[in-house]
Amino acid sequence: MAWITKNSATMEIERRDEPYLTDAMKAKLTADVLPRFPRKQAATLPALHEVQHAYDYIPHQALEEIAAFLELEPSVVMDTATFYEEFFLRPRGKYLIWVCQSLSCEIMGQPTLLEQISAKLDIEPGETTDDGKFTLMTAECLGSCGTAPVALVNEDLHENLTYDNFERVLDSLK
Amino acid sequence: MALDAPILTKRIPTPPFGDIADRKVVSYDQFVATGGYAGLDKAVSMTPAEVIDLVKASELRGRGGAGFPAGLKWSFLPPEDGGQRFLTVNADESEPGTFKDRLMLEFDPHLLLEGIAICMHACRLDTAYIYIRGEYHLQRKRVQAAIKEAYDNKIFGPGSKLGQINGRDPQCFDHRGAGAYICGEETGLIESLEGKRGWPRIKPPFPAVAGAFGRPTIINNVETLAMVGPIMVEGVDWFKSMGVARPEGAPPTVPASYGPKLFGISGLVNRPGVYEDQLGITLKELIEVHGQGMRNGKKFKGAIPGGISMGVLGPDQYEAGLDFDIGKKYACLGLGTAGAIVFDEDTDMVSVARNIARFFAHESCGQCTPCREGTGWMYKMLTRIEAGNGRTKDLDLLLEIAGSIGAMPGTTICGLADGANWAVRTIVNKYWDEFESRVKPTLVQVTVGS
Repeated sequence: MAWITKNSATMEIERRDEPYLTDAMKAKLTADVLPRFPRKQAATLPALHEVQHAYDYIPHQALEEIAAFLELEPSVVMDTATFYEEFFLRPRGKYLIWVCQSLSCEIMGQPTLLEQISAKLDIEPGETTDDGKFTLMTAECLGSCGTAPVALVNEDLHENLTYDNFERVLDSLK
Repeated sequence: MALDAPILTKRIPTPPFGDIADRKVVSYDQFVATGGYAGLDKAVSMTPAEVIDLVKASELRGRGGAGFPAGLKWSFLPPEDGGQRFLTVNADESEPGTFKDRLMLEFDPHLLLEGIAICMHACRLDTAYIYIRGEYHLQRKRVQAAIKEAYDNKIFGPGSKLGQINGRDPQCFDHRGAGAYICGEETGLIESLEGKRGWPRIKPPFPAVAGAFGRPTIINNVETLAMVGPIMVEGVDWFKSMGVARPEGAPPTVPASYGPKLFGISGLVNRPGVYEDQLGITLKELIEVHGQGMRNGKKFKGAIPGGISMGVLGPDQYEAGLDFDIGKKYACLGLGTAGAIVFDEDTDMVSVARNIARFFAHESCGQCTPCREGTGWMYKMLTRIEAGNGRTKDLDLLLEIAGSIGAMPGTTICGLADGANWAVRTIVNKYWDEFESRVKPTLVQVTVGS
């Protein structure tokens, strides 16, 4: 009896003619990053960071382009990319908010803070606002327990948060 | 037992020696002007074997959590064969309660780079990678700037003070992680460095024999390497004048806890932060002197000694001496990274256990079934108990699951599950009454009528 399986090979990858991994990026990686390692695969994380930095997420087409650039199978790059919390394979908001929910932050008031932020932005953790401005995420330990509770907004760490001071931060973002 | 002078925080103003408000990033010139890279100069005037012997004699133990003797680790490398050999620096500081390396990376990165250069000389390693966690943006930029300064001043690169190693110019690079606690496990870190998912490897072979790219590799924590420079300059006796010596008459195989250490303190104290003191200070001193006492004058209820994987010190262990061998004395896993989280009388220990179980369930890499499933089930059970829907028998089941997962019971590859195991078990055991009062009895007493 044959197994009847669902055909999962029909996933459509959105494509565009212009490559995501531009020649400038490739040149930078070739000059700065590839010489650091005995194997090309080691440049996977730097390449993923580079693409995410440019587009705020990593389109599937870019995974294929990185794979071709590093002489790997796309599935190998996908395997790596999906393992790490920081890589987004779908578009996210302009401002990415990571609210730390680990122990020090929790006992210093993070649960209430998160609820209030969630209510203000009208999204749950993991969601993006309709205008594409904010994506709210919860993070495991941002490594700043002495100034708990903390949150990262893109690359900026905000410490000793109360709802009032964090609301001011959010309101100041254009 | 306070230190006479700051050592690791010599250039990072920290109470009681300085004011936090005066902290500034230390440039190469300032570092050299205050005695920096003197340890490296001394090291390169010695043979590699002499440097290793000196570090061995200092009995410096790894500051990343396990407390493994650094000199011993360095001596595990096979003889040189002309091929590449690596140093990977573990700056993937991600365990809740731990935020000490952040301080070193942010303000005094050259102290780390000096330690790296000494280690490369001693162990004949030609390439160093500093694996910095992805969320440390400012720290990464500071380290990148410091590396550039170090290249400009011939610490690394062509014409380096170290000369050529394995026929190559010594190199030092930063490498950015991407948000995975497991990449702080040494072989998980290597896998991640190689561009793969951070799945820890089965050992042996140990990294010293076959690590990064299949080549001999040394992995050390930031603070461990930062400690090497001062040891080179000041000597072994100076280093051993601090900390906790082994008990009198004990053979040299019994490990001792010498030297200064960065202690983190967070949670419900008046002045959380990172402070430097001798190994062996009591939790009481850490809280009352460095932490300036409990917040709002509340009563001490317990504390995580160093990163949540280490378990908990209970209300009667306020006087516990914080050295590497704390585990045997106070029924916890160990000192870990010495990043304490302090709880007061209002802290709900069931919530604490639930938070910790969630952390490990979330960060389990999924490779070993006992860890992947065990941490997830512990989280579910603790969530249920917290909500008031637990049964007495759940507590026994919880302890049974916890006790069965980890590298120590022999069911997983790495120690992540041991962290979950010890954290949950010690909290449930030391706060049994609190847990028991939150669950419903499994057997309900009934009266049989006539």
